[in-house]
Amino acid sequence: MKQWFRTGKPWIWLTAGAVSVSLVAVIGLVLMIGWRGLSFFWPTAIHQMTIETASGETRTLIGEIYDSEEVPIDRVRQSGVEVDASEGELITRYLMKIGNREYVPLDFTWVVEPTIVEDKTPTDMAIIERTKDGNFYGRIIAIEQQGERIAGYEEADFREVLFDRVERAVELHDEGQALQEDEIGRINYQLSELGLEERRLKLEGQLTEQALARLEAERERLQAEYQTLEKALFEIRDRAARDTLIVEDFRGEAVAVPLYRVLDVNFPNDMHLLAKIGHFFQQIGKFVSEPPREANTEGGVFPAIFGTVFMVLLMSVIVTPFGVVAAVYLHEYAGKNPVTKLIRIAVINLAGVPSIVYGVFGLGFFVYMVGGSIDQVFYPEALPNPTFGTPGVLWSAITLAILTLPVVIVSTEEGLARIPSSLREGSLALGATKWETIWRIIVPMASPAIMTGLILAVARAAGEVAPLMLVGVVKSAPMLPVDGNFPYFHLDRKFMHLGFHIYDVGFQSPNVEASRPLVYATSFLLITVIVGLNLTAIGVRNHLREKYRALEQ
Amino acid sequence: MISVSPNNASEKLDLANLTDDQRALEIKNLSLYYGEDRALHDISMSVPKHGVTAFIGPSGCGKSTLLRCINRMNDLVESCKVKGDILLHGKNIYDKGVDVAALRRRIGMVFQRPNPFPKSVYENVVYGLRLQGIKDRRVLDEAVERSLRGAALWDEVKDRLNASAFSLSGGQQQRLVIARSIAIEPEILLLDEPTSALDPISTLTIEELITDLKQKYTVVIVTHNMQQAARVSDQTAFLYMGELIEYANTDTLFTTPMEKRTEDYITGRYG
Repeated sequence: MKQWFRTGKPWIWLTAGAVSVSLVAVIGLVLMIGWRGLSFFWPTAIHQMTIETASGETRTLIGEIYDSEEVPIDRVRQSGVEVDASEGELITRYLMKIGNREYVPLDFTWVVEPTIVEDKTPTDMAIIERTKDGNFYGRIIAIEQQGERIAGYEEADFREVLFDRVERAVELHDEGQALQEDEIGRINYQLSELGLEERRLKLEGQLTEQALARLEAERERLQAEYQTLEKALFEIRDRAARDTLIVEDFRGEAVAVPLYRVLDVNFPNDMHLLAKIGHFFQQIGKFVSEPPREANTEGGVFPAIFGTVFMVLLMSVIVTPFGVVAAVYLHEYAGKNPVTKLIRIAVINLAGVPSIVYGVFGLGFFVYMVGGSIDQVFYPEALPNPTFGTPGVLWSAITLAILTLPVVIVSTEEGLARIPSSLREGSLALGATKWETIWRIIVPMASPAIMTGLILAVARAAGEVAPLMLVGVVKSAPMLPVDGNFPYFHLDRKFMHLGFHIYDVGFQSPNVEASRPLVYATSFLLITVIVGLNLTAIGVRNHLREKYRALEQ
Repeated sequence: MISVSPNNASEKLDLANLTDDQRALEIKNLSLYYGEDRALHDISMSVPKHGVTAFIGPSGCGKSTLLRCINRMNDLVESCKVKGDILLHGKNIYDKGVDVAALRRRIGMVFQRPNPFPKSVYENVVYGLRLQGIKDRRVLDEAVERSLRGAALWDEVKDRLNASAFSLSGGQQQRLVIARSIAIEPEILLLDEPTSALDPISTLTIEELITDLKQKYTVVIVTHNMQQAARVSDQTAFLYMGELIEYANTDTLFTTPMEKRTEDYITGRYG
């Protein structure tokens, strides 16, 4: 045994074991989140279950099975369900999503297995995605056009007619949405800008008759334009309201579902594998490209992805020059004395400050002091409504830039230290000043190290949520920080963030059961986004390394 | 005894009494300290124009330090202090208010190991010109061809001017560095053991190049290789322990040294 220890083999086992544990943890985490997140998009069968209630009556449920678990009989009895089973036995219960929110108090329900009398998956069961009230489950029996029945389920080409009508409804819906967001949004923006301009002129004492008349004329022009657009919008809505679906729901009643609210109709029980795969990718596409609906419990997460990426890019743009300049000063210009050493230690320790502290600092200093001052000087016309004196994407980016500054400084300094002095001398000997040498030779050669710093900074910043809650993230942002209205980048706006979205959906949602898969899907997406950002940065770094391979000499 | 090439013997200068026209550089009572250590002791000598002056001596004798004084490269060393004068056209380069960058444009330097920048061959050569703000493509192109021809590298790299400088061999890189230095047309070219990191064939090429370079430039070379000093230089200075022991025309120094220590060194008794 002693011999064995002396060979050093236990150390190999120990170190290899540590690596394996880490690997298993990381892979397990990604697999778990990936599996739970992605399986959310896979079309599941719609069950039609007949169950027996405690009073001996039967009722029907239609919905998807979300989850199942084994519970002891006592717990089932405690929840008020009577079942025939011996003591200590485990029974299965299913979590069903039954949708149809307007007709049931809760769109999720537990079903205990022994109470199930019959369980079918009929092929004509449809899942109807709607803009409001979540999914509707049932059997579509007819389509009505302005109250008149034009097709019934018994007809052979019923599905074709149905899909045609759904497609038309979705197109009209999109058209209306686009009109509302782009055109009408632009006019609203311009109108509010006009109001601000009027106040500004008034504050400056330059609100002459002439200016007033010009503003009024402009306003009238916009109002007229608005009227036309509004008319067009109403027309689209009228056209969309033409068709209605008649659906037989779980109670067996025929319910009218207006088609203008329908986003998609699917028959998952009637799908073969290929259709399921297509549907799976289509759902993922929708998830990443659409805005959320109904308090973030439905729809996609596009604004959150956009907000995360935009904020991180903005932060990179801010932190890189600052960090590089600071590192260049510390390494090239600052005297090698205790003060420099102290500053360096302080910078490194800055990385250890809890992130929420940065959030508090950002709120107090950037938002209230800097932002408030900016408002007083540049946007007095909007007061008391703050423009920059309120949390926004700019302040979030700056706060995270400060948070990640130490990382960039430390890696840049390491990079600067690695550059051979012969290159410095070569440049100086050609009549370059120190500044020219640093700018033309040293910093370009240190760029791979700068990229390393940026990679670490991005990895840290993209996952940070706590400080953002104080300086700019919101549950739901009506507008993206980038749009078609001049000046295109609206850095004062609040934004959505994937990290905060996970917190919000998982813990602040009115509908916890509905949101659990969304939490996994969003987490998986957040990981994907961070990995994507990092891979991009690593790609750039490798390219730079290749370019400045001199260091290996 | 080391043989001395005949071209050095053609013209003999009285090194102790050079006229202002003949002199490129005058070093007067130069002493240098690293902190408390004195590295150079009261050195005085004149470097004549359009010749090759070699500094020889054993390792640590201060020959590189002396060379680096001439274009104030020692300024980079924090603890380094210089006393005495180096006169270029009668003006002390250590005077206050001297523009060091401008000085280094007039006195170029090539180092022991080739140190091309991580740029293309072309960009390496025009680096000094770009620093001076020259952007005209034609001027730069001409300078590149002239400098590379001057450094005997044009024929080898004319088809790959845009290739990375690192794709060249060690000897080619050193000639590229020389081309880079002469692109800005210095008066004096300082070579600090330019062949010590190169193979014999590259060394030969560089030595031939040095002989060509003296037509246009004043060359000062540091070498630990006495044969090299004998082959390429017109004047040789022997330094020992920070002191200038002997400074004479190369053939004189190698054939009839005045000092015992010089003789001991060139005959290989120590070094």
